[in-house]
Amino acid sequence: MSAASNRVRLQTLVVLDSGLELPDGALLSPPIASDAQPHRLFALSADSSSATTTKPESQILRTTFSSVPIVSNSELREEYQELGVALGELLAMDAGDEWRIEKPVYYVACHVAAELMDYQYPAPEVFTHGPKSVVFNWSNESTNLYLTVSADTLSALISTPQRIQRRIEFPTKQLFDPGLIFPALRSAQLEQPVVSIDKAASDLDD
Amino acid sequence: MRYRRIPDGDNLFRHSVYPVSFKGPRFQSAKLWRLIDDQMSVVTSVAWQRYVPTARHVHEYGCRLALARNERKRSEGKYQDSSRQIYCGAYQLSARAVRALAETDGLGEIASANVVHRIEENGEIAHAELKVTLKSTGSDVEGTKTAIIDRLWNACAGPMAHVCECDVDVAPHPSGHLTTPPSGQYLDTRSYLSCLWFLIGFHIRSWYWRTFHRQRAL
Repeated sequence: MSAASNRVRLQTLVVLDSGLELPDGALLSPPIASDAQPHRLFALSADSSSATTTKPESQILRTTFSSVPIVSNSELREEYQELGVALGELLAMDAGDEWRIEKPVYYVACHVAAELMDYQYPAPEVFTHGPKSVVFNWSNESTNLYLTVSADTLSALISTPQRIQRRIEFPTKQLFDPGLIFPALRSAQLEQPVVSIDKAASDLDD
Repeated sequence: MRYRRIPDGDNLFRHSVYPVSFKGPRFQSAKLWRLIDDQMSVVTSVAWQRYVPTARHVHEYGCRLALARNERKRSEGKYQDSSRQIYCGAYQLSARAVRALAETDGLGEIASANVVHRIEENGEIAHAELKVTLKSTGSDVEGTKTAIIDRLWNACAGPMAHVCECDVDVAPHPSGHLTTPPSGQYLDTRSYLSCLWFLIGFHIRSWYWRTFHRQRAL
């Protein structure tokens, strides 16, 4: 399979002490909370044979969320309520209807929608390929982001009219730790190295 | 039946029908295509220009398509005016663009992509089958379908919007909401003579099929 198609797995993560030296050009932002230590994350992406860029955690968060359009919470909630209704309608279709989705797909799709709302993604368009999946779609002028949700896999596709930019697959069991998926998705959308924050590794620092 | 390979340079048309390709009043490009699972393949339908040689023929095919769906719903007792199927227009793409799917970066799970002439049981002689065969790589088939429809949309040109005679009462007609794909509008660049040649060929083939093949099928 080509390099454009990656399967994302838990990645090695090293949390370094804040006293260590940063590479040239790296910005040191203030910690998120006044009493928190500024963690620096080294994330090894799928194709990395060497360590990738070093950034303080707060900088990574600020960068990865910089493209989120400002939408009021109530507006966002309303949009997601409409999405919930649309998913419900897909589930409630007649048994013989070709557009009806299966229950496990519905449950996973609802879970994903809830996480997307938590991560302040604008509400997506929704369509289906049939009973086995639901597709969430965001588009701007030239780029499309699709998130295909099936009972056991989430597949992200980022494309332009010219080419497929990126494809990533996540097993749905990773939804139990959405912190692994949605920031990674945002990073992929911005063509940045995919960064996962490994809670276990972070906890070691405490 | 022997399926005939469609030459790379030939045009294909995908018909857009309301409400299937729409979300509310808005056209949704991702819903233009519907890929059906067929073992390790996904298949869908298009019309081959050799058997719909002019825009009029392309649209007649679309009108028949919507009409047949409405009739089927009626016969099942499920027809509702609110869910009436309305043909809105067609998008063009080439057979070459379909076959190029197999060489697309990021679609390594595709073993082959092809389009063949396959006359439908209902006698639609322009019907062609677009078939994408997948490798058994264990990758998510549903995700692959999304990638395929994304690439197909980007290979399309159009729309050729249309209002069928039976839908002139629909106002506003949803064909006004069809959007232009990234490749732009469809321009029929065939010369007058070429069109005439297509038309003559179409009438001969239609006559031949109706006379011989259909009788054999019956």
